[in-house]
Formats: sequence, C-alpha cells, structure tokens
Amino acid sequence: MSSTPQDAETPIVLNLASDGELLKEYVIESREHLNNIEQGVLLLEEHPGDADTLHSVFRSFHTFKGGAGFLNLVPINQLAHGLESLLDLARLRKLTLDGERIGLILRGRDTLKQFIDQIDAQLTGAAPPAPIMIPTGDFSRQILAAMTSEPNLASASQTPEPTAAAASSAGATVKVETTKLDSLVDMVGELVIAQSLVAQDLNSQAAANPQFVRNLAQMARVTRELQRVSLSLRMVPIRGVFQKMARAVHDLAARQDKQVQLLTEGDETELDRNLVEELADPLLHMIRNAVDHGIESAEARAAHGKPRAGVIHLRASHKGGGIVVELQDDGQGLDKERILAKAIEKGLAAPGAKLSDEEIFHFIFAAGFSTAREVTDLSGRGVGMDVVRRNIERLRGRVEVSSAPGQGTLFKMVLPLTLAIIDGLVVTVGGERYIIPTLLVRESFRPRAEMISTLQGRGELVNLRGRLIPMLRLGEQFGVKPAAGTPAEGIIVVVQTGAALKGLLVDGLSHRQEVVIKNVGELIRQRNASIAGAAILGDGRVGLIIDVNALDGLPVPHLAKPVNN
Amino acid sequence: MKAEDCSIARTPSAARPGKYLTFVLGGESYGIGILQVREIIRPTAITPVPQMPPHIQGVINLRGKIIPVLDLRARFGLAAPAANDRSCIVVVQVKTTESPGALTGLLVDAVDEVINLADKDIEATPEFGRRLDTRHLLGVAKVGATVKILLDLDRILGEETQAQV
Repeated sequence: MSSTPQDAETPIVLNLASDGELLKEYVIESREHLNNIEQGVLLLEEHPGDADTLHSVFRSFHTFKGGAGFLNLVPINQLAHGLESLLDLARLRKLTLDGERIGLILRGRDTLKQFIDQIDAQLTGAAPPAPIMIPTGDFSRQILAAMTSEPNLASASQTPEPTAAAASSAGATVKVETTKLDSLVDMVGELVIAQSLVAQDLNSQAAANPQFVRNLAQMARVTRELQRVSLSLRMVPIRGVFQKMARAVHDLAARQDKQVQLLTEGDETELDRNLVEELADPLLHMIRNAVDHGIESAEARAAHGKPRAGVIHLRASHKGGGIVVELQDDGQGLDKERILAKAIEKGLAAPGAKLSDEEIFHFIFAAGFSTAREVTDLSGRGVGMDVVRRNIERLRGRVEVSSAPGQGTLFKMVLPLTLAIIDGLVVTVGGERYIIPTLLVRESFRPRAEMISTLQGRGELVNLRGRLIPMLRLGEQFGVKPAAGTPAEGIIVVVQTGAALKGLLVDGLSHRQEVVIKNVGELIRQRNASIAGAAILGDGRVGLIIDVNALDGLPVPHLAKPVNN
Repeated sequence: MKAEDCSIARTPSAARPGKYLTFVLGGESYGIGILQVREIIRPTAITPVPQMPPHIQGVINLRGKIIPVLDLRARFGLAAPAANDRSCIVVVQVKTTESPGALTGLLVDAVDEVINLADKDIEATPEFGRRLDTRHLLGVAKVGATVKILLDLDRILGEETQAQV
C-alpha cells in the first residue's frame, strides 16, 4: 500500500452520539501512544538504529492508524499511515532516521496530538461540535519525500504486523477511573480509623478474651496492608514527567541554538499520580530557565573551557518518607550580586543586610522577580519562579536552590509521596491539638527564657544557635489560651517556610501520626487560610492541619483573605 | 376547597408545600424542608476552628467526613440557653458554590417532628421587626395554634460561603 498525498483535505466530523464511548477510549489510548512515540523518537535521536525502540514506535503509529481507520478519522489515519510507513522502512533498515526525519516524525506526532486534543475537547464539551480541520497534505508529501529520498524504496510497501503484537506489550493492566481509585483510598482511610477506634475502645472484658485480641490484631495487620496496597495503586513512576521534560529540552535547545543534553536518574521513583501531574508545570518552568538562562551558548562554554554541550541532570529519589526531585544544570550559575541588587531595589532586602547565599538565592522565588536582562519568548518575565514556589508549596513541599558561579545551579524539591496522606506532628495548645506536616518540621526544642528576645513592634525572636528566627505563639495566633504561661514552659517547633525558618510556640508535642487529609470545606477555608485541611485523629476527633506558610505575624480574624486557587 | 378561598390578604410565599422538619431554637419553632435534611445526630465533640465568627462552632467528624457546624442561635442573634440533653445536630445538604452537596451541621436546641404542610398552611413572612432577619425566611406556617418559621437554608448557607469572597 502506498500513501498518496491527499490534495483535498478531509475534515473530521465526529459522531459524538453514537461513537462517544469509542472515541473516549481512543483518545485515552492515543495519548499513551503519543507519549510512547515522543519518548521513542527522542531515544532514536541518540541511537538511530535501536531495533526495540523502532519497533515500539512503529507499533504505536500502527495502532493509532488502526483505531483511526475504525472510527473513520480519515486525516489521522492517513497521517499515521505515512509515519508508520516511514518507521517501517527504518525498521527494515532501508533508511536511517537522520535529524530531519526525526524532526518530521516529531512534528507529525504533534499534529496527531492536535487532532486528539480537539477530539477530546469536543468529547468533554469544552469545544462545540464542529468539523476538525488540520492541514496534513503538506505533511504527507514531506513524509513521502523523506521516504523516496532513499534510493531503495522499491519494497516500501510492507504488510504491517498484526495488531496483536501491540496489544501484547500492554501487559496485564486494567484501566480504572481515577475517581473510583480516590474513593477507594478514602474508604480505606476510614477503615483504618474505624479499626483503631475499635482497638482503643477495648474494655477490660474484651481485652481478657485472647481470641478476640488475636482477631483484632489480625484485623489491624490486614487493614494496614490494605492501606498500603490501596495507596500504591495511585503510585506511578515519575518517568512520564521526565519524558515530557526530555521533549521540552529538545525543543528549547533547538530554538535557542544551544547544545543541551538531559540526563535523568531515578525514572522508576514512584509517587502519587496527582503529584506527578502537578509537578509537570513547575518542572517545565525550571527547565526553561535552565536552558534559557542557565546553559550558555556553545561558544561561551568553549571559551570557559567547558564542554560545548550543556548537561541538565534530572534526578528523583525517595528520602525520609518523601520524594526529592533535583534539577541541576552545569551553566553559568545564579548571579548573586545582581539578585541582591535587585532585591534591594525591590525593597525585599535592606541595603547592607548580611544575608546567607541561600537567603539571597531564595529571592528569585519572590513574585515578579527577574534578573534577566532581556525578555525572551521563553522566560525572563519574572512570573516563573514565584509560581513554581507556590505550586510546590501547594503540594506541601518545599524548594531549595543552590548555585556556584560558572558551575551551575541546583534546584532541590522535597515533596510528600502522596497528597492523600501526610506524616503529621500532633502538637497541643491549651486543650486543642493541631497537626503540622512533619516534612516541614526542622527540629523542636524547649527554649530557655534568655533565648527569646522581643523586637520593638516586630514580634518575638528566638536565638537558635546564633541564628535569630521569628517566633509565633500558636495559641495567640489561634485565640487559644495556652497551658504554658511562658515560652520556657512550652516547646518551639521550628518549621521551614521558603528559605526562612519560623518557630511555633506550642505547649507540647503529642505524637507523630500518618493522617488522611480531608478538605475542611469552603466555609472554613475562606475565613482562615492557615488551616490547610483537617484529619481524623486516633480518637475519632478532628484535628486541624496547619499551613505554616500561611501563618503570619498577627492574627487577622474575620478579614477577607484572598482565596488561593 | 381551593387554597385561595381561605385567606383574604395573603401574599404568596416562596415556601413550597410538603414535609418539613421542625426544631426548637431559643424558644421558637422553626422548619426546614425535609429533602435537605440528611440525618440527625447527637451532639458530638466539636473541634473549634481558630478565627471563626461566633456562629461557626467548628468542625465534626461525621463518619470520616469533616463537616462544619453552625450555631443558628448565634447566627440569628438569639440568646444562648444552656445546652440541654435534647440538643441535636441536624445535618443538612445544601448546594453551594463549592460543590453540589456540601454537608453542614446545624446545632439546635431540640428536634420536634416532621410535619406535612399544605399550600394553605403557608404564608409569606410577616414583618418581624428587628427580631429576625426576614431575608432568611421562606415564610411562616400555622400548625394548629402554633407558628413555625420556615428557613431558607439555601440562602443562609449560600451567604456563609459567599459573604467573604
């Protein structure tokens, strides 16, 4: 079969009423194939002859084509067919995939994605039903040209492999709606609470019955295992995001005319599906910055005795109940003097203030902060890094930055494994209990009276090994009378907010507990931004989770606060 | 007998005929549409939330769900009598901007009964003076010798979430 370029473009008219379900499945499947193609092609760029990857990309195009043919999506079918034929030739070693052909396949993949996006938009009702018209004729001609430019095209028409080959690679997986998964995790969370309530309610009579106690212990084990398994259902490898970044680096570097190589580590690291999705945007911002500002041009790099190609490392790993994602470039590094000058100019720092490197670098996360000399279409408008920081904080994580001139910049994001559960430190103030995310807790200690000093009109400070950090009395913030009369009778919990540390004065630490995070509802959130959520404690009562980033100097009761997102 | 026949100068009311749950609040009897009531529970440990106005008592754990509890007495500016053993939390579900069915608990002095109101029983809200904010009322219903005040829950709870935006 030869692919004749169509001079007349055929628009796609969807029959949403009769094909709705099939189209939905096709869209979901297609997105997977598009990802696979993208990742595969980028691999092929480095290893043009890799047989496995060639097969895999070929199969993706093939399945894509098959589905489109079945649903009568003519332009998709034709385009996919053309690309499939091209891949087929490469697969049979009849032509090699040079840079031009790789670019062609990538652009073809993007066009297919446009089709899928538009179909998706009509399916979800985001766009009104209308014929979908994306020109593909040029493409088909280019593909044909790319195929015929090789002399030995004679046996180009190949019978494609049966679809079974593609199906077998899918393995034994089941697609489940995410809402079902979320509600399963919720219900298991309830089960864990119910189980612990039963265990705590044991009266002496029941506790004397060994059989009952044994059964209860068995139930506790099963519940815990069930919770572990149900949470693992939501876990996906971070690979998907890293693949997106690989594509971004490829495109950005090409546009900037720079040579950049992306090396990833820890692709297998698993984290919550929701987190993976939320992580993509901030990472993309940072990748853009790294390529745009971080990595120098090949000439500048050569002049500094560095290899011409810049390297960006993207690493993921598990650490202490959380996940650490690092983005490191070997570019020019952050300009400390300029950042400090800009911060003083913007009134963020006092002139002549003595600041640590970490504190200076952290200014780049302030809103509207940009030291880029010129604004490009990629970055430099100063809207990037504060959004990154806010996104990361919304995920209950934090981001750190370090940099060395001429050697590059390292961004380190520490995130919880899941958005559904946090490891919380339960603290007490008066008769109340509050939960502080353990990930943000640096340390806690009982202060001596002389460690506390009052700054006229600017609150209290606590001297932590020579470093003065602001101290907030949580009871005062929340209008609760603390049991501890003086700070020396309480405990200070040091929490990380951005680059700064804050000391929260509480009466005492109760315990650490993994809690399922619940929404407190609009009614509460609108009135108190410092309540991040709530959780049910071991005794069945509600504990409030504190958003330490939203805690500020003074209590502002009943004031209208801007609602985030 | 047609409904129009029994009342001479009756203004139409927003309240629909149907079943209403009645409860006591500061000595008065109130009614809310039964379709908005999910359940009635005994008072349970309420966790106070910092920086809330007085009528938001806090949050409770309703079988794993966190729901806010409102004190309608404080909301309407009625005197707060000592809690008695007939106090209840009426859990209602009302459409809000956030979700089609956020659950909310209403702290009441006592739950009375479910009454069936016909169109003829319901009248528009008379002028209450400053005792009650009549915007939150659907109307009043006469049942025997007593008067039940019918509350507009959509409005009361809708304002809770919108007032601050």
